[in-house]
Amino acid sequence: MLEARQVSLRYDGVIQAVDGVDFTVAPGGLVALLGPNGAGKSTLLKAVAGMLPFEQGEVAAGSISFDGRSLLGMHPASIARLGIALVQEGRQCFRGLSIAENLKAASLARPRGAATRLDMVFDYFPFLREMRQRPAGHLSGGQLQMLVIGMAMMGQPRLLLLDEPSLGLSPTMVQTVFDVVERMHHELSVTVVVAEQTVPRLLKMATDVYVLSRGRVVMHTPPAQADEETLQRVYLS
Amino acid sequence: MLLLQIATAGIATGSVYALIAIGIVLIYKCSGVVNFGQGGYVMLGAYAAYALTRLGLSPQLAAAGAVLILAAVGALTELLVLRRMLKAPVVAVMMVTLGLLILFRAVCLAIFGPDQIAFPQIFPQGAVDIAGIFITYNYVAAAVLSLVLSLAFLAFYRYTPMGLMQRAAADNSRAALAVGIHVSNQVSVAWAVSSALAGLGGVLLATLNSLSLTLSSIGLVAFPVIVLGGLTSLMGSLVAGLLLGMLEAFTDGLLTPALESFLRAHTSVYSVGALQQVVPYMLVGAMLLVRPQGIFGQRGTERV
Ligand SMILES: Nc1ncnc2c1ncn2[C@@H]1O[C@H](COP(=O)(O)OP(=O)(O)OP(=O)(O)O)[C@@H](O)[C@H]1O
Ligand SMILES: [Mg+2]
Repeated sequence: MLEARQVSLRYDGVIQAVDGVDFTVAPGGLVALLGPNGAGKSTLLKAVAGMLPFEQGEVAAGSISFDGRSLLGMHPASIARLGIALVQEGRQCFRGLSIAENLKAASLARPRGAATRLDMVFDYFPFLREMRQRPAGHLSGGQLQMLVIGMAMMGQPRLLLLDEPSLGLSPTMVQTVFDVVERMHHELSVTVVVAEQTVPRLLKMATDVYVLSRGRVVMHTPPAQADEETLQRVYLS
Repeated sequence: MLLLQIATAGIATGSVYALIAIGIVLIYKCSGVVNFGQGGYVMLGAYAAYALTRLGLSPQLAAAGAVLILAAVGALTELLVLRRMLKAPVVAVMMVTLGLLILFRAVCLAIFGPDQIAFPQIFPQGAVDIAGIFITYNYVAAAVLSLVLSLAFLAFYRYTPMGLMQRAAADNSRAALAVGIHVSNQVSVAWAVSSALAGLGGVLLATLNSLSLTLSSIGLVAFPVIVLGGLTSLMGSLVAGLLLGMLEAFTDGLLTPALESFLRAHTSVYSVGALQQVVPYMLVGAMLLVRPQGIFGQRGTERV
């Protein structure tokens, strides 16, 4: 479904964040993209979603394609319309707009069937229905994480890219978020990539594990081989 | 009696100021750029309408045509100039908008000359009689048109999908991109709408006074309006526009005559000059001391 070949990614023309990475996501998969701080996980996801040029970044080499179609040089809005949703770091949403408006805005690129999808999002996250007239800026960190996942669902993605959804959340909240991800993966047959540093729960759900370190893939295994211990060793090396 | 007359003049010019200021705020919200050239678009709108009547269009059609032309000029400004400056510092972009103002003035000067031109009559001649006070249709039409359009635009911005895209792009451009909103197209739309509003404002101001290059300095009045309104609030600029229009009218109609007659009686000073052009700035200065975020602005909000 998603195929990145020998991808090198740079910021400001000189900072090499990702260096010759191969990264493949099969349809229906749930891929864990692991790695320590600065490994290049976010950069790789941003490259897929076409967001790099907006941060002075670029794809310096390699190819990225989705269903056989090259994503290089495409505008993020067009990539979103193809059915790729990126839930970025920092819970990016429209804090000055109401929750209902956030969800509506997230459906404008693919307005058909938006009403059904809104019901579905409210079914996944009932508190969003209750709070829908409130500004998104009033939500807590965990609630915001749910909102941005809900916003991604409004775009009816076939490939969902989640960048460190657990960051800064309490352990129970992390469980809730991963419950939702698992449910979406099963019920909506969305293909998912989750970037994280370490989340044991993610390793249990994943169908495939990539480990990045300093911009390179240092490990690519089925989840069974990716136990905590091995990961620790890779991270520390 | 006199008060009512002054108030009408104040509402008429004030609502035109609001129209022009709303355009500036719209662009600022989604791109962080303050368009110092807005006065240039105001002036272009008026000259475009005049030129179209010279080409044989009826004054009403010419006014509508001028608004459309200005929408195109605004969109082109964004596409040809600002889109190429995405990586430039915001201050540099603002300087460029100031450069555009100077350019537009030079173009109009070259084509139409420096003299005042009698502007074609767009609205029926005559006046309405309100309790013995005669208010010309020009004033009524300018006030009604700008107020209705301002409110219609605010409703559009708040309640339509296109308005939602504008607000989303203005709120957080990264999030907007990620959900498939083409942010730079939204900025073009903002420029088109803003310039169209400015063009209409220019046409209306020209019907109230006359057509000349000084229309381009209207931007100078629009800035106190947006600062007073809080820079990011469209409703704020509407209210502040009306306030400033009233203030100008009352300064011109009451304060200045009173001051001058006082001075004439007690000193050898005969005139205090155009006080109405000074008072807005004094008000803004005083206002900012008390409420730095403007009337409707929120404290501590930053652009993203
Ligand atoms: N906007 C940017 N400009 C310049 N360099 C950047 C930028 N964003 C990231 N980098 C650099 O690129 C490298 C990879 O960063 P990236 O954010 O992709 O790491 P990450 O794996 O997501 O880390 P984390 O787990 O901390 O989020 C780092 O060295 C970082 O300093
Ligand atoms: Mg990251």
